[in-house]
Amino acid sequence: MTVLEELPDITESPDAKPSGNLPTSKDLYYRWERQQWSVAALDLTKDQETWGTLRAFYRTELLNALTELEVGEVTVVETLSSLVDKAPTDDDRIYLSTQLADEGRHVRFFQTYLREAAGISGEGLADSADYTNHFAPELRRVTGAVWAKGDRDSWYEALVYYHLVTEGVLAATALRTTRQLAKRLPLPALVEGLTNVTRDESRHVAFGMIAARDGVAAGYAEPVRRAYLHGLELGARVLVGPLRKQAVPAVKTALVFRAAQLRGGFEIARDRAVRQLAHIGLPDAVADAAEVWDTALERALDAYEEHWNTPHPVRAAGSLKESA
Amino acid sequence: MSSEEILTGVRRIIGEMCPLGARDVAPADRIMEDLGYDSMAVVELALVLEAEFALEPIDEEQAIDLVTVEDVAELVGRMVSARA
Repeated sequence: MTVLEELPDITESPDAKPSGNLPTSKDLYYRWERQQWSVAALDLTKDQETWGTLRAFYRTELLNALTELEVGEVTVVETLSSLVDKAPTDDDRIYLSTQLADEGRHVRFFQTYLREAAGISGEGLADSADYTNHFAPELRRVTGAVWAKGDRDSWYEALVYYHLVTEGVLAATALRTTRQLAKRLPLPALVEGLTNVTRDESRHVAFGMIAARDGVAAGYAEPVRRAYLHGLELGARVLVGPLRKQAVPAVKTALVFRAAQLRGGFEIARDRAVRQLAHIGLPDAVADAAEVWDTALERALDAYEEHWNTPHPVRAAGSLKESA
Repeated sequence: MSSEEILTGVRRIIGEMCPLGARDVAPADRIMEDLGYDSMAVVELALVLEAEFALEPIDEEQAIDLVTVEDVAELVGRMVSARA
């Protein structure tokens, strides 16, 4: 069994069952001590060779994914401090301090990898990223509100955008699909780095779920629910990426495959978005979350078509099925 | 461009891009079963063929099963003819 196969899906971890057996923030701190890794220790030699031989399709796929991940990591480094400072308990604050170190390491990993393995400068990457345009402004607003207001409602809202949507839905999906791609090419240093990042994210999402669950139990269900639904609306847009031009194969068999690949990513994210609600004590919000997600996804596909004046591959393949 | 030239070009590209390693391929070789292409590799192959032969979608094509190298060459030939 490979390392990747041993890695649990974040929300399928035995520690994360909705039975109430989630780890505590103190447990997560000690897990962090045991799960250290080093960007400098990654050997990029084989990856550099592979990048030199990649054709346009895989190169674009990887660069799009790594750009979104890098931009997301930079944003979360810049916005976590208010959650650390205003954390409900000392154990939460100590755990969140470890997470700040993780996020810094993730930025260093993605920037080093893009520069030294893919030969890409990080400059200008953020401008075209969907996360920058659709989600980061809201994350900055809600984490800024934690400083400005200092109340629990604001803290739980920011936690939801940060830990449950950015990390639990968007990053977890991107890490899973990008790791699969890296594994097949093969890009061993990227696989190793993404595996390490995924392990870290697993702790972050676990913290998000225990904190949100505690918040719901303590009377903050409404701000958590409201933030979750709005976060999903923005998250679906990031995942579709209306600003990111997709290859639309002229060969229809290939178009059907392409659409299935993209739809697979959407389904992973939707599944996570719905399942997290059971873990945080809001199972009654599942139907609303599914509806918000599906509607936002369709709107994002509309926005793509409007922006590029051509249907997204998922839509193009859908109309192909309808006309067949 | 003759159908023979198209078949030769398609065989060369499919052989060069073969996920099992570059090799000579025969018209009857099955893309997925014999040559190891999966759905991602088929998408990449289609995009390379489109660039090489300047292909555009054709109305009469349905999402058919492209099983063999010859099937792909035949489709490319039809798309090239439709463009002319």
